[in-house]
Amino acid sequence: MSGRVDGWRWAGRVFLVLILLFTAVPMVWMLLTSIKSQFAAMQYPPQWWPKEPTLQNYTKLLDPTNPVGNDFLRYMWNSFYVSLATTVLGVAVAVPAAYAFSRFRFPGRTFLFFAVLLRNMFPAVVFLMPLFILMRWLGLVGTHGSLILTYLTFGLPLSIWLLKGFYDNIPIQLEQAARIDGATRFQAFLLIVMPLSVPGILATSIFSFIGAWNEYVYAATFLNRQDQLTLPVGIQRFFAEFATDWPGLMAATFLMSVPVVVLFLVLQRYFVRALTEGAVKS
Amino acid sequence: MAKVALENVVKTYGPVTAVGDVSFTVQDGEFVALVGPSGCGKTTTLNLIAGLIPMSGGNIRIGDKLVNDLDPKDRDIAMVFQNYALYPNKTVAKNLAFPLQMRRLSKDEILRKVTETARVLDITHLLERKPRELSGGQQQRVALGRALVRDPRAFLMDEPLSNLDAKLRVQMRTELKRFHQDLKATIIYVTHDQLEAVTMADKMAVMNGGTLQQYDSPKNVFDHPVNTFVASFVGSPAMSLVPLRRVVDGDTVALAGNGWQMPLSPANARKALGAKSDKLILGARHSTIALHDTPHAGTVPGRVYTVEPTGDVTFVQVHVDGAIVIASLAPDVPVRSDTNVWLGFDQTRMHLFDGETQMALTQT
Amino acid sequence: MAVTSDPASGSLRRDDGLLRRIVAHRADYAYVLPALVVMMVVIAYPIWFTIDMSFYKTPASLQLRDRTFVGWKNYETILTAPAFWSVTLNTVIWTLASTFFAFLLGLGAALSLHREFAGRAVLRAILLIPYVISAVAASYLWKWLYHSDFGVIGALSVQWGFTDKPINFLDNIHTALPSLIVVNIWREFSFAMIMLMAGLQTVPEQLLRAAQVDGANAWQRFWHVTAPHLKGVSMVTVLLLMVANFNSFIVPYLMTGGGPAGASDIWITHIYQIAFGRQNWGLASAYSVILFIVMMCLGYFYVQALTRGDKGRPE
Repeated sequence: MSGRVDGWRWAGRVFLVLILLFTAVPMVWMLLTSIKSQFAAMQYPPQWWPKEPTLQNYTKLLDPTNPVGNDFLRYMWNSFYVSLATTVLGVAVAVPAAYAFSRFRFPGRTFLFFAVLLRNMFPAVVFLMPLFILMRWLGLVGTHGSLILTYLTFGLPLSIWLLKGFYDNIPIQLEQAARIDGATRFQAFLLIVMPLSVPGILATSIFSFIGAWNEYVYAATFLNRQDQLTLPVGIQRFFAEFATDWPGLMAATFLMSVPVVVLFLVLQRYFVRALTEGAVKS
Repeated sequence: MAKVALENVVKTYGPVTAVGDVSFTVQDGEFVALVGPSGCGKTTTLNLIAGLIPMSGGNIRIGDKLVNDLDPKDRDIAMVFQNYALYPNKTVAKNLAFPLQMRRLSKDEILRKVTETARVLDITHLLERKPRELSGGQQQRVALGRALVRDPRAFLMDEPLSNLDAKLRVQMRTELKRFHQDLKATIIYVTHDQLEAVTMADKMAVMNGGTLQQYDSPKNVFDHPVNTFVASFVGSPAMSLVPLRRVVDGDTVALAGNGWQMPLSPANARKALGAKSDKLILGARHSTIALHDTPHAGTVPGRVYTVEPTGDVTFVQVHVDGAIVIASLAPDVPVRSDTNVWLGFDQTRMHLFDGETQMALTQT
Repeated sequence: MAVTSDPASGSLRRDDGLLRRIVAHRADYAYVLPALVVMMVVIAYPIWFTIDMSFYKTPASLQLRDRTFVGWKNYETILTAPAFWSVTLNTVIWTLASTFFAFLLGLGAALSLHREFAGRAVLRAILLIPYVISAVAASYLWKWLYHSDFGVIGALSVQWGFTDKPINFLDNIHTALPSLIVVNIWREFSFAMIMLMAGLQTVPEQLLRAAQVDGANAWQRFWHVTAPHLKGVSMVTVLLLMVANFNSFIVPYLMTGGGPAGASDIWITHIYQIAFGRQNWGLASAYSVILFIVMMCLGYFYVQALTRGDKGRPE
């Protein structure tokens, strides 16, 4: 029997190697391309290993005196600013809502909750036109406010759902004890529950931040001035009319991915917990 | 300390009644145990007294003050929870200080009271630790300390010992009782363990199905249970209950089983005649039943089911008319399973219940 | 809580009347209100707007006062257009194939990673990176890999003798859709992996040991013990993947734009094309309404799978 068990284990290892190649090879090729010159990248058959590796694509993008670098850094700042605002506001709105869903039973609670979840189901594209008209009416077209407001609502259902899971795990007796010890309901929430929900808030924040950082469709529609663009929209400019600067684009793509990947690696535990929260009942 | 009075307290969740029309008064300095099986409404009653959930009807007074609409923080009570509910992100010292901070005491006074409480409970060496670094027994002490640190008008305790292991539970039971005696504290104590209630409380309130069954001293509840539920809930092993028939023949009243009759004493006969129908239930505690290996006048036949020696006393379970009766014997008396025995009931200490209403029959 | 059988319950009061209950809980709504207001503005309004718009013909300028009522005509146009069925077929293939393979790879990875070994955490983190980076980055990256002249995939397939000359993956009606599906699987499988890894942790070790004692082999243990425990999380995962795939726009839009000749056109890209390419807002709205209905059906199952056993605390 042990022979058969070993067979399964070997199959697992082979599978892991294959799937690691599937995952990593494209990313490695992105990095290899990004340290080639335009000329070296456009060869057939390709240079498997760059003959003359160069960091010129990166220095160009990160140099504020270079027009390309100036734009790129501005896009990055725009992305950062919009993502951070979305995250902070999103948490501020989601925390009380999630707490209410976790703690109270009130008429319409179930209905509200389903409405929140169903919001997850609708694609960005079909909301694009009505939201564009709404933003036009609110006078927000062409401002980062339109993006922040939109990302906020997109993130909310998930944020509320994630945070609710965390609040469900905080024993209600802690609040009861605080209220008996002389706290008001609000003080019990602020002084006892809030400090305990920090991991939940972190997990939720990663999600909203990554979601906002990566968003493309609304950013492409709502923004109209060059200097306002966020990264996913901005790097389209590397497609020149006739010849794409592929090494430059790969370098830009890499730099665009760095913040979210770093954020993910640092807060991986919370990220994974947030992903699986609610779907798995142990 | 103050007295706590409940008047016709009701709590409903939609169509479900969790607590139905409960009234009792806890005198100043009294230790009252709320006992009953899980789901009987005892914890809900405690939460109503604490003000953690809104009442559906009735009045609650603490001292002379009507507290129906007061927030928990304004009721001036302390509570110890089953899972201790220690604030996990605060040290023991901060846990103890929290109720005082909420009452805006000065820093010096908080420090003085926390130190004093820690000394009394012998937890001074734990003050800088977080709750998760404590053992169950230590957490229990801290939870008690958080209640003791201020002078509330009453202590509410929700099964505070049930998460401890058996040995520690017995030890803490003694300490709690001592603590009550020293402080003359008003304590309302919820437990599902009737032994805790009997050993510690001045009075016990037995609850079942959301209603109060009996409210009296443990001795009276033990000696005079008002119905079959209280009879079978209080006491260990439980009182044996045997459903029988009433037979009246002239002046004699007897209990009849399958093929036997037991004539009742005049006092018991009067009780039996008070029943609504011929269905009666005989109740007897193990210590009031004598076992014989031959039939005597007034004994009842049975067959031994199991024999459980415990060391200083041996419990014998006997089949009588389809019911199980538990009797006790000295450990050196030989009994074997599947042998016939005859049971002698002590007529002065046995209980009779109405088979229809399940209520105790009393002399009228 | 137990229901009392006490005859005295005649004196009990019952909370009744929706209005009274709402008034009694009015303070609780304050917590939900901020979320509710934002959602109403940005969700309820667009849905109502889309449904309303689907019955009108609108000018390209999006000036609403110039629109004309056309009844069900937009819906008729959609359902009778020959493109509708080919786009629907693409959508079904795209959604089902992406979901199926992403789930399968995710399951394989989760099972292989379940056992503790050195480097497991690193491996898991690497596998998750494609899920974390943006779809825009993934699209450009794979567009370069698929490049008709200098793409590494084409070069490799020539080098290893699969083809004579590099295949133009994204410009060929037979390969465009499958190529996009591969990208989608690359991005999504690790989501399934994470969900299923969490699910595997709920499988009781004792049951597996009991099955081993009862003489079950590895496959039988998986089928009879592990698989039933994964059922719930699998349902949620598959539904989430289906919703995400059904709604995914960036990969097909940026990589092929639905082409060539509509070979990789799915509902979302098609709607975008009608709205922002042909500026036919009414028709696009009607399309969106049909999509809403499909999503509501999926959403129903989603909620069913998610809320199994979810009971709020009484208070």
